Amino acid sequence: MATITIDGQSYEADPSANLLQAALTLGFDLPYFCWHPALGSVGACRQCAVRQYRDEEDTTGQIVMACMVPVADGLRCSIVEPEAAEFRAEVIEWLMSNHPHDCPVCDEGGECHLQDMTVMTGHCKRRFRFPKRTFRNQYLGPFINHEMNRCIQCYRCVRFYGDYAGGSDLVAMAAHNHVYFGRHEEGILENEFSGNLVEICPTGVFTDKTLKHHYSRKWDMVSSPSVCSHCAVGCNTIASTRYGSVRRILNRYHHDINGYFLCDRGRFGYTFTDAADRLRRPLLHPDRERDVETVAEPAEAMKRIREIFSEATGVAGIGSPRASLESNYALRNLVGSGRFSSGLPRIEHDATTALLEAMRNAPDGPGSLRDAERADAVLILGEDPNNTAPRLALALRQSVRNEPIRADAGSRIPRWHDRAIRDFVQDRKGPLFIAWPASTRLDDLAAGTHRAAPDEIARLGFAVAHAIDPQSPAVTDLDDSASDLASRIARALKEADRPMVVSGTALRSPAIIAAAAATVHALRRTGSGGSSFLAVAPEANTIGDAMLEGAPLETLEQQLESGEVDTLVILENDIYRRLPAPATDRIISKARRIIALDSIATATTNRADVVLPAGSFAESDGTFVNHEGRAQRFFQPLPPAGDVLEAWRWIGRIAAETGTSKQNEWDRLDRVLTALARDCPELAPARDAAPDAAFRANGQRFPRAPRRFSGRTSILSHLSVHEPKPPEDSDSPLSFTMEGHSGQPPAALVSHYWSPGWNSSQALNKFQSEVAGPARGGDPGARLIPGNGPNERPSTAIPAPVPDDDQTLLAVPCYEVFGSDELSARAPAVAERIPKPYVALAPTDAEHHGLDSGDSLNLLIGELRVSAPVRLDPKLPPGLCGIPAGMPGWSVPHLPARASVVT
Amino acid sequence: MATKVVERKPLNLAERSYLPQIVGGLKITFRNMWKPPVTLEYPEQRPNIPDRYRGVPTLVKDPNGREKCVACQLCEFVCPPRAIRIDPGEIPEDSEHAHVEKAPREFKIDMLRCIYCGLCEEVCPEEAIFLQDTFSVNGLSRAELVFNKKKLYQLGGTLPDSHYKWDKKRDAAEKGGDEH
Amino acid sequence: MNLRAETMEHIDATIPRYPHKRSAVMPLLHAVQRDQGYISNEAIAWVAGKLGLEPVNVYEVVTFYPFFRQAPIGRRHIRLCRTLSCALCGGFGIAEVLEEAFECRMGETAPDGSATLEWAECLASCDKGPVLMLDDDLHENLTEEGVRELARTIRAENAEGSDSSMTGNNS
Repeated sequence: MATITIDGQSYEADPSANLLQAALTLGFDLPYFCWHPALGSVGACRQCAVRQYRDEEDTTGQIVMACMVPVADGLRCSIVEPEAAEFRAEVIEWLMSNHPHDCPVCDEGGECHLQDMTVMTGHCKRRFRFPKRTFRNQYLGPFINHEMNRCIQCYRCVRFYGDYAGGSDLVAMAAHNHVYFGRHEEGILENEFSGNLVEICPTGVFTDKTLKHHYSRKWDMVSSPSVCSHCAVGCNTIASTRYGSVRRILNRYHHDINGYFLCDRGRFGYTFTDAADRLRRPLLHPDRERDVETVAEPAEAMKRIREIFSEATGVAGIGSPRASLESNYALRNLVGSGRFSSGLPRIEHDATTALLEAMRNAPDGPGSLRDAERADAVLILGEDPNNTAPRLALALRQSVRNEPIRADAGSRIPRWHDRAIRDFVQDRKGPLFIAWPASTRLDDLAAGTHRAAPDEIARLGFAVAHAIDPQSPAVTDLDDSASDLASRIARALKEADRPMVVSGTALRSPAIIAAAAATVHALRRTGSGGSSFLAVAPEANTIGDAMLEGAPLETLEQQLESGEVDTLVILENDIYRRLPAPATDRIISKARRIIALDSIATATTNRADVVLPAGSFAESDGTFVNHEGRAQRFFQPLPPAGDVLEAWRWIGRIAAETGTSKQNEWDRLDRVLTALARDCPELAPARDAAPDAAFRANGQRFPRAPRRFSGRTSILSHLSVHEPKPPEDSDSPLSFTMEGHSGQPPAALVSHYWSPGWNSSQALNKFQSEVAGPARGGDPGARLIPGNGPNERPSTAIPAPVPDDDQTLLAVPCYEVFGSDELSARAPAVAERIPKPYVALAPTDAEHHGLDSGDSLNLLIGELRVSAPVRLDPKLPPGLCGIPAGMPGWSVPHLPARASVVT
Repeated sequence: MATKVVERKPLNLAERSYLPQIVGGLKITFRNMWKPPVTLEYPEQRPNIPDRYRGVPTLVKDPNGREKCVACQLCEFVCPPRAIRIDPGEIPEDSEHAHVEKAPREFKIDMLRCIYCGLCEEVCPEEAIFLQDTFSVNGLSRAELVFNKKKLYQLGGTLPDSHYKWDKKRDAAEKGGDEH
Repeated sequence: MNLRAETMEHIDATIPRYPHKRSAVMPLLHAVQRDQGYISNEAIAWVAGKLGLEPVNVYEVVTFYPFFRQAPIGRRHIRLCRTLSCALCGGFGIAEVLEEAFECRMGETAPDGSATLEWAECLASCDKGPVLMLDDDLHENLTEEGVRELARTIRAENAEGSDSSMTGNNS
């Protein structure tokens, strides 16, 4: 630590930071625009001016930009010095000279960094009396609204979009006072991280278009800490609501996971909670084959369930990777672990089990996104992160700079000095290798790619392990280009300080995961200390579901066949997305009675006898276990309305009603978690993911509503002049009102970022132990999988080479960031971005079958016929075809599989 | 405490006849009978309300018939009894006021809660909400006294506008600038 | 792209001079503008393809420099100095003469396409003001009569050559 003097007071500061960061960490209010903790400094906006003094004798000093001054021992500066303060006020005055002052209609108003900084510097009178320059705005797609007149030219948008996220369609154009940030021509912003512009932009140039459709001011929204439910990364979010519906999702900082950024699927997928097909009342289907449904009262539905249970010979439960840990556990407890299914077909179940095994087996446990961001050599084995775990792709995009920076002079440039670092790195990229059948959006960064069938990808992985450490078994019959690539990868990983292997279940291949694990262990054996294994899973709670060790769906089918079981309880799972329709129909028709719980109407709920409306993430409390085995609690921003209840609460009631177990006391989240901890020791730390419901600060709860929440007495005034009693929350230490503890809650309970003078999300600086560091009091969540040290367990055998097959194609799943996720695809804005159905085909194969791009291709996969237009992917190797997974309306489950072309 | 007894003077003849007093009284009566009246025949006659009077808060339109409120929600924010509820909405693309971006979809004021403080009028950046001269509100139910947008515009009517700032904005965008 | 053979030759010779292809973007744009008179969207896409860039990256450069033109201009390009010395010597009077002669305002192109009038900042000939640049030629010590004569010549030339190509004003 270095000792610096600010305004005559001595402080300790981190010498790797710059003065602006240090000042903000120490609690000073110093205005800034172009600096961003994740983007670094460029010293462009001249807003963070302070006076720096040479030594104690120096009383004149000079004005410097704090963001460009490295913290050093003995640094002396003044923030309050009048000339520096006047300088800052004048900079704001220039920036404001063209600003339209249209705060009343601006979506940013009330949470605007420019407003905050203007007030902070004291500028209040406009002296510029000439016409303001104006621009024409562009249509930028369903996510982002564009209002260029508000721009203050801080350049943060293009620095994020281009430099950080790798997007190429948002640029700065023109010069002088008519700099324009936009696209070459109107059109959808292509990059899947465009939503971050909403928070990156210090004013209202880029705003959330989905919020605009049901706008509410920040101070009016009741928010709660949530966890994104659209992939397994588990980005922390803040879900904000007003008048009973979710209005927007904001980023909630987590040092080890999402940092400052979310992907567009996570940010804009929330509107599925308000979609027309949401289930809000219990439904009864008197005849499953006919499409007749009646809305029932909860008591009526419960009565029916009691009848069903009393008639049943055996009840089995189908869990779900998108339901919370508590709901899955409650179901397992209801039906008994012998009759509990993870809700996955065998092909996915085996891959997930292998992934969990590899995570437990990894030397230091599974790696985090922060590890990925700091890695200096990466091998992606059988994953397409941009589409399966988008936020991970953003982290990996940063990792390729690490190796060039580490080289020679780069290591002497402070990491926050963005311009200098980028000038130094230029186009050099560190080693990133991608093994995936088709092209990916990280290909522009890759030092090498391997396009091959899943088994060939696994073989490459084993070959890399062998090349790193000859102790690992050798791969026979590897072709020259693959073995050459394997040795290049092995060399890069061995030379790296922090090598990382990314692998997951995308190709449903346990061999690929085993190969990744073997590589990590080979690295560990040969002495690389920092090696890590990053697991990618498909859904929000895939890992949590797998840790409950349910059986695959096929086992359940056998139990139904044998007559051991005749009734199914299906938890938040659309089996039609998991198995081909004929197989699902067999399961459904063999079950005499089906009880389904879900938040959305699906093909499965349409065929259940009783459907109970479960809460989405917005109406539920629960825990998701993310891709790194971190249990994270999400809290409901909305008190459940109508008959909607958390799925675990419904299951508790079913248990109480039918007397199957002693779950009747399970009316509180903490009780479910206590039972879970008792039954599953490995999951016991999940209790510590967030403080329990009894947690208080000074005897007070933590408010979900901000202190300036308005309209409180008028919202229901036409019903009663008395304010209604606010809903009580028995599951969390949060309250639904603005009353409660006014200080900062623990990180797991942060509902909004606000600090005096800081109304924008930049108030986040005040919630961190140091700027861009961990949250105050520690980051939320509990790691469940500690790692296994250097002991490698024997891994799966190396698969044989894929034989040449002229007759059939190998259909492999490929993924779409917008479309492959079940829930977000139901959000209207995301639905606009879902590509049309397609089958990706190599040009040589297309030629062979006499097909061209756009022609219709008919495939027979097992008993399923698939028909879709051809999309040519020159990167795809011959003999493969890629079919997007989980697309709404035409999902093709159960891949990879052999497909024959029918004409 | 000492008391003093005052002797009552005996009345003289004129006083005993009461006539001078009756005449005096009638004089005042007749004098006032021909003076203009100082009371109002309320409710047929309405009082003259001073300009700065704070009556019921109302929403106003500009002389071109554009609703001036842009649903910024500052009045909702500042309202001490939290009596205002605004549901902001978008202006359709094809409207001639599309450049204003926002207008209230619904605007409700709970007149049972309103304390006539005028902070909403003071805070309004668009000069869209005014406490005008309506001072009596009544109704038969609580629901009737929650005024909706329609009712508030009915009460507010049209007020003169010295800025037309949104027209200026549109003109500026159409004529000058347009840098891209 | 319909470029002349010598422009193509020049472009092909220019690109290898730079360690990174993208560095040649400015010389290429100059060459295209010399050839075509302005830089069209088609030209932007062509330059981008030539240098392995996204069109929008070239567009950024084109919009940054006011001297890259995105619309065709008149046959001749007149840039009249408006900086202090020339203004004191009657530069704005000259502007009025030009506007009258070409029937258009400063910043616009004459209706017959003979010339485009633009303001320029100091042309570094302050002792001989007012001055203007006619394409690449400096005209000094302007008088109103001289400018009228110049305008007449330009318009006459234009009327004669109107059947030939409009492009190539700067070559």
